[in-house]
Amino acid sequence: MIELALQYLLSRRRQTILTLLGIFFGSAAFVTISGLMLGFREYIINQLVNNSGHVHILARKEFLTEHSLDESWYGKAFEHIFWKVPPSGRKDSAMVENPQSWYTRLNKDPRVVAYSPQLTASVIVSNGKATAPATIIGCDPLAQKRVTTIGEYVIEGNFNDLALGGNKLALGDELAKELGATIFQTVQVSLANGMPSPFKVVAIFKTGTKQMDNVAFGAISDIQKVNQTPNQVNEITVRLYDYTQAAMLADSWSAMSFEKVESWDQQNGNIFNVFKIQDAIRFLSIGSVLIVAGFGIYNVLNMTVVQKRKDIAILRSMGYNTYEIVSLFFSQGLLLGVTGAAFGLFFGYCFCLYLQTIPFAGGPLGSGSGHLIISFNPRIYVQALCLALMSTSIASILPARAAGKLTPLEIIRAGAE
Amino acid sequence: MGIIAKNIGKIIGEPPTRILTDINLEIKSGEFVALTGRSGSGKSSLLYLLSSIDVPSEGTIELEGHNIKKIKKKVLYRFRNEKMGFIFQFHYLIAELTALENVLLPTRKFGYEKQKKSYAADLLKQVGLENKEYRLPRQLSGGEQQRVAVARSLIMEPQYIFADEPTGSLDSINGDMVMNIIRDANEKLGTTVVLVTHDPDFAQEAKRQVHLADGKIV
Repeated sequence: MIELALQYLLSRRRQTILTLLGIFFGSAAFVTISGLMLGFREYIINQLVNNSGHVHILARKEFLTEHSLDESWYGKAFEHIFWKVPPSGRKDSAMVENPQSWYTRLNKDPRVVAYSPQLTASVIVSNGKATAPATIIGCDPLAQKRVTTIGEYVIEGNFNDLALGGNKLALGDELAKELGATIFQTVQVSLANGMPSPFKVVAIFKTGTKQMDNVAFGAISDIQKVNQTPNQVNEITVRLYDYTQAAMLADSWSAMSFEKVESWDQQNGNIFNVFKIQDAIRFLSIGSVLIVAGFGIYNVLNMTVVQKRKDIAILRSMGYNTYEIVSLFFSQGLLLGVTGAAFGLFFGYCFCLYLQTIPFAGGPLGSGSGHLIISFNPRIYVQALCLALMSTSIASILPARAAGKLTPLEIIRAGAE
Repeated sequence: MGIIAKNIGKIIGEPPTRILTDINLEIKSGEFVALTGRSGSGKSSLLYLLSSIDVPSEGTIELEGHNIKKIKKKVLYRFRNEKMGFIFQFHYLIAELTALENVLLPTRKFGYEKQKKSYAADLLKQVGLENKEYRLPRQLSGGEQQRVAVARSLIMEPQYIFADEPTGSLDSINGDMVMNIIRDANEKLGTTVVLVTHDPDFAQEAKRQVHLADGKIV
């Protein structure tokens, strides 16, 4: 019956093309918008996954409850203790309690690629009269390069030079601009209430993320000195072989340690919520285009069933059964859906290739390449095809079933009248 | 084996209206029977019952020994496709298909299209359309369209032809041509023909006439 369905469609070319256009535009729009949205998302995830490690072992922050201090004050002398002003606030341990035990555990774990102990401090960086508050991360530069992709974003100098010691600094591009600092210049780094220490800029990096480009890196021993916390770390960043296992590992490590352990996705839960909202908007908006296109098919097929009543009658009298009549009309809808979607996907793909070439200066979307980031994930194309087919199938099945219910007798009698 | 109608009656519509009453009729294999009568006498309704397009409200119809009310749909559809040919007053050609494709339409069901193609061309030649195989119905005259419909009814070399006023919308020349083809099928191929007509001349062509009045055989 597909051959006959095709002949029906080809005989009404203008109507067929107009119906096809609905599915075509819906599919093309889905591919393009999804390509843009998911390209951006993949970029963000790539930044989250690679720029700051997969698992973060942090000094624990514990919130006090009404009975948190009962035992430390009164031991087990009383069963119930009531406070006039109950304890509240946060019990803060600014440092990882026993980093050595973590190093031992991480060294033994086969799932771990590398780890980097860090000391993060809030400092003031100044270059002459230019002053900027900044976050400075003290790290082992070689380990840091294995744990994150920071080395790939160095645009001037060499990140490894931090390892030479003697107060060296790698500045984020934004921070460098804020300070007017250039490579090999010396800047002053100080705590809010501390004495400034001179640091030489040995590298400048640009990740494309404004937040990250406002950060400075130094050797951990140098930052410990500035922060006046020798031998202390407040974070251990870990890189895994399989980043999708990060949440599971973080949960298991957290359960058997005092420290707070978070995976990259747990730390950025709000971003993933935004992604979910984006998905809902994407499916609803493009889905509505395809629903409208589906209505087009529904109307066309309904009209065709009415116009082709006599054909149905003669086919039934020739022994064609209900299923064959249904398939004659259903396959018309399906042919429209498949063809419209195929052209739509191809056009969407070509348009995405074109979008990729459009210069997009700076900003978080720039990714350093200076162009829009488009995703060509095959899932987008499969989803677009499924949506188009679902829409056309639903739109076609109702008129097709109506056609299948027609009996030859009522049509022949109506024709005779 | 043929067709045997026993005590059949047909009631249609709302309020219920009786259109056929107590019909007993046997049509033997190879017979040419004309159902005659005035308009509204029930001859077309009887034809649709005998050809299994409709089912009786009362009584039974046996088609080749099978009760059409009890026969499996799959078997009935195959029987209709392979053993029955229909000709209606209106040609019911599919506008998108050429004359040849229209003739071949019944063969598509079970994929006999290629095997039957030369036979279809022969049939079109027999009905005087040898150079018009690739024309669309709209490019043919009314008489030619009806002749294509006749050729289509013969493509499966059916055992039965059910013709409902096949000449009703034709001029006398085309009407004669169509009747000749039907008569030839009966005489040369032994096809059983059940013809509904109100034209006494065409009814004369049949070997037996069954006259209906007010839904009864008289």
